[in-house]
Amino acid sequence: MKPVAFDLTTATAAPHAVALLSNVDIEAKIIAGGQSLGPMLNLRLARPGHLIDVTRAKDLRGVVDEGSALLYGAAVTHAEIEDGAVPDATGGWLQAIASRIAYRAVRNRGTMGGSLVHADPAADWVVTLTALGAVAVIAGPGGAAREEPLSSFIAGPFTTTLKPGEILTGIRLAKRTADARWGYWKFTRKVGEFAKASAAVLIDPGAGDTRVVVGAIEQPPIILPAGDAEAVIAGRLPIEEALRRALPHRPPASLVLHAVAVREALGIAGAAGFPAQDQGAA
Amino acid sequence: MNAITLRINDRAVSAEVEPRIHLADFLREDQLLTGTHIGCEHGVCGACTLMVDGRPVRSCLTFAAGCGDAEVRTIESFDDDPLMTRLRAAFSRHHALQCGFCTPGMLVTSYDIVRRLPHADEARIREELSGNLCRCTGYAGIVAAIQDVLSAPPAAPVQPLTRPAPTAPAAVMGAPAVTGATSRPSVAAPREEAPSPALPPLDGAITDGVTLTRAIPLDLPPDQVWALVQRIDAVVACLPGARLIGATSGEVLDGTFTIAIGPMRATFAGKAAVSFDAASRSGTVRGRGGDARSRSSADGAMGFRVAEGVAGGSRVEVDLTYRLKGPLAQFGRPAIVSGIIDRLLADFAANLTALAEGREGAVTTEPPSGFRLVLGALAARFRRLLGR
Ligand SMILES: Cc1cc2nc3c(=O)[nH]c(=O)nc-3n(C[C@H](O)[C@H](O)[C@H](O)COP(=O)(O)OP(=O)(O)OC[C@H]3O[C@@H](n4cnc5c(N)ncnc54)[C@H](O)[C@@H]3O)c2cc1C
Ligand code: FES
Ligand code: FES
Repeated sequence: MKPVAFDLTTATAAPHAVALLSNVDIEAKIIAGGQSLGPMLNLRLARPGHLIDVTRAKDLRGVVDEGSALLYGAAVTHAEIEDGAVPDATGGWLQAIASRIAYRAVRNRGTMGGSLVHADPAADWVVTLTALGAVAVIAGPGGAAREEPLSSFIAGPFTTTLKPGEILTGIRLAKRTADARWGYWKFTRKVGEFAKASAAVLIDPGAGDTRVVVGAIEQPPIILPAGDAEAVIAGRLPIEEALRRALPHRPPASLVLHAVAVREALGIAGAAGFPAQDQGAA
Repeated sequence: MNAITLRINDRAVSAEVEPRIHLADFLREDQLLTGTHIGCEHGVCGACTLMVDGRPVRSCLTFAAGCGDAEVRTIESFDDDPLMTRLRAAFSRHHALQCGFCTPGMLVTSYDIVRRLPHADEARIREELSGNLCRCTGYAGIVAAIQDVLSAPPAAPVQPLTRPAPTAPAAVMGAPAVTGATSRPSVAAPREEAPSPALPPLDGAITDGVTLTRAIPLDLPPDQVWALVQRIDAVVACLPGARLIGATSGEVLDGTFTIAIGPMRATFAGKAAVSFDAASRSGTVRGRGGDARSRSSADGAMGFRVAEGVAGGSRVEVDLTYRLKGPLAQFGRPAIVSGIIDRLLADFAANLTALAEGREGAVTTEPPSGFRLVLGALAARFRRLLGR
């Protein structure tokens, strides 16, 4: 099946993309790698009138060192992160995550920004960058700029707080030191498939950051309240109980897989009392 | 039409392309390079994999209009390539193909594995191959062929190319308004779908459906809720995305239901049959509809009951079984659909309460357009009907 007709313009830079987005009076959309939008276009599930290609916009393609943080351009690809072609704020976590998203041919075009704006609750960046406390950097009409923590930017399944005319320009990630530990575990039945359940754990004593995030559900990733996260890590609160508190409306049986994901992620993060079972996971 | 200049198999090519043409179709139909195969057209099967700027990509998810200044290499360009010659020979030796449909994509992926991961073991090769499906050979031969070539890996690793920055009218950069920078879209606004006359009758059980149960609390007395839910127009007006078409005849309705999931939008046109049982204050809705554009269909059966709630309020208990078919089902994973239904029911409850209290349009609704108008008009009518 082929997409319905649309116009396509290649943006040279972020302000150009924003200007194009505000200029057209027909539904215009940004296209980055096209690895999520492309299937929806081909299946005619999405029918925008105008696509603005940002994959060659120079200011969206690099990583800026801001001192204590790195600002990733929204159009940096999964493969560039996997290959270490751009610096890694976490000393390896991003590389490990990127290398297990989809397949190499998809990673060569798919972008970090596209994945976040697509906001599939099961997507790897959506879950892991929430755990890392990432901040979305956004540009709007007339040179307006704003920033928002990823935890609120992802507002629902396939929904963000981006307003009409706004684009995501970058993702800010605090640099982590060597004593920060992390774990990410996802359940898939086949390599490269979207996760059925996942969890990400960050334990960064230096920065005073501890986060346990549960993903791959019908809503944005759940961040366990700080007290519960610490109690789970310390072994004072069973994972199942913490999940029941965080998701009171879910039947307990549906949380079994998520509990496994949290346990595995804690194991990978090296939390005492949680031996990692699945050695192949990252 | 967009004008592009790129290199295909070491040849400079200039072409006018329709923006919606993906690279695979452009190569096959315009350039007559039919070595690139097309399977799923949504990135899953890998048949269309070829090299752009030295990296394997899905040509079904790459638009030709976005390939300006790109370096494209299809399977045809590898005839004299020494490494591909070795891979081809190994594929033959290890029986790594039968019908050959997946083979161009398999060879391009194999070429990438061999150059990027010269030390890959069998497990890694299998992982890297997981994005290329073969329906007839099985993977053992393909894996063996790659291992064979890797026993004497090539010296040079891959060198992805960086595409030069695009050149665009300088005046456009950063300007607040971009007059004339883009042509007027050649697309008409989506038309309203009419209910399809050929739908099968509304009966029979829904097999392989997904079932959900929910209880919606309402700050309204059960009598009032029961009166409201029997007003079909009111229910439709309060349900974001729902619309009646024409007059309602008895208890069978024609209508459309628009759902929006991110950039996806499907308008199901169809019929619903409604029945009520006053004694138990309960009812059923059986509906079925199709979205012609995405060739998706939905089938649903809902039972509901109005019960006493807390503090004089009420509780509407809903059980819903639905089944999605067609392309939309691929994105409408059960967890996602249940999340959307939860939001829909929450909006419905808020709208119904607002309607009963005479505050129309007090809540935001999804999808945004159209609904508010309908709700506003119907709410006014209902206040008259309810004597408010
Ligand atoms: C076969 C297959 C398997 C996959 N498996 C996985 C997986 O296991 N895990 C996973 O996480 N992902 C997976 N993906 C998705 C993949 O990671 C996509 O690359 C990603 O979700 C979207 O990135 P993109 O750059 O391709 O965005 P696009 O598809 O181009 O865009 C996605 C959405 O974001 C919007 N958008 C993009 N960039 C911007 C911007 N800068 N500002 C505003 N809006 C923007 C677009 O308008 C669109 O709505 C898979 C994809 C495929 C095809
Ligand atoms: S046709 Fe492109 S991946 Fe299947
Ligand atoms: S050889 Fe037939 S699909 Fe692979």
